[in-house]
Amino acid sequence: MTEQDDKIAIAASQLATEIAPSRDLWPGIEEAIKAPRAPRQTPWYAQAAAVFLLVGASSMVTYSVVKYDESNTPKAQVQQVQIVPTNMIFERAAFGGEHTLESVYGRAAGGVESNLNRELANLSPEARADVQRNLAVIHQAIADISQALEHEPNNGFLQELLVAAYRNELTLMNRIGSMTQRVMARKDI
Amino acid sequence: MEALLTAPSRDYSPRMVSLERPALTDEADWIAKAKRSDAGAFERLYRMHIDRVYGLCLRMTGNVSEAEDCAQDAFIQAWSKLDKFRGDSTFSTWLHRIAVNAVLGRIRKSKREQDRIKLAFEQSSAPVSVADNGELRDLSEAVDRLPQGARHVFVLHAVYGYSHEETGQMLDIAAGTSKAQLHRARRLLVQQLKEQGFEE
Repeated sequence: MTEQDDKIAIAASQLATEIAPSRDLWPGIEEAIKAPRAPRQTPWYAQAAAVFLLVGASSMVTYSVVKYDESNTPKAQVQQVQIVPTNMIFERAAFGGEHTLESVYGRAAGGVESNLNRELANLSPEARADVQRNLAVIHQAIADISQALEHEPNNGFLQELLVAAYRNELTLMNRIGSMTQRVMARKDI
Repeated sequence: MEALLTAPSRDYSPRMVSLERPALTDEADWIAKAKRSDAGAFERLYRMHIDRVYGLCLRMTGNVSEAEDCAQDAFIQAWSKLDKFRGDSTFSTWLHRIAVNAVLGRIRKSKREQDRIKLAFEQSSAPVSVADNGELRDLSEAVDRLPQGARHVFVLHAVYGYSHEETGQMLDIAAGTSKAQLHRARRLLVQQLKEQGFEE
């Protein structure tokens, strides 16, 4: 820094930093803030991103729960039962028109849920809590996406997200609900 | 220029922006109340900080009416964002960031808007550097004539004492860019002051 720079710097530091406005600005501010604060609305894309993360996270936990279950069973001695949910046919979501996935999905989920409930009773309290927590996350995600879809019914991205969330829910319920079948298929027992 | 630049020198260590106010506990109390939608408490915060916020807006825009609008915007935004204030910085610094954003937001609005601001500035008879006197007024007016980027950096760094890192964060530029703009600002100021007949 040259001597000139120093002088300018010194002079600048002496410029007033507090300057009173020529008029009182408060009335305008008061007018603007009179309306009660609107509850913060999370933008739908933020919700969608959060849902992706949550669904991803829930899948990881689900995977670890199931993996833990499998790791207690010697792999070579288990004949895996392939779970083919015959009553689950995923169609491309089409919420924009009169189509709805809800009724079809509801019937499919109903059967899986009864298996799940039976199986949950056999899980350890920790594993049961994990599963229930993950289901709650997915249910919340479904509710959030559905709410966002009410505002943007033709948003393809949200539709895909909703289907993904439903699929995650069914996958989780299926995996847990099929544990007994897998144990029953073991030949070493 | 010598006369201008040899004004009694205090010190030129970048001044910290933290406020030397005796009633910081009151401020914390008002912030807490304002967060609970107490407009009266927010008005107290406004009274406490308006001169500093307006001063910054005025120095950044170089225009009285734009500075008033920006200061108002800043406080309105502060009200709506109050629940985000966690106290990681001083309330004053937090307000300054909002004010800088308000100024930059207005500037970005459109070229036409900028032209209008420029026109308003040219037509404005109100002295911008109302709080400066004597030779400092010449410097203040020279600062107002700096190109926008250089002026913003000069105001935040040299006048308000923010570091280059802080200045860069506020203006969304790199710290190195802030240094370069400061260098440019100083060079242009010297040039301007020379042209106005100030002797070295």
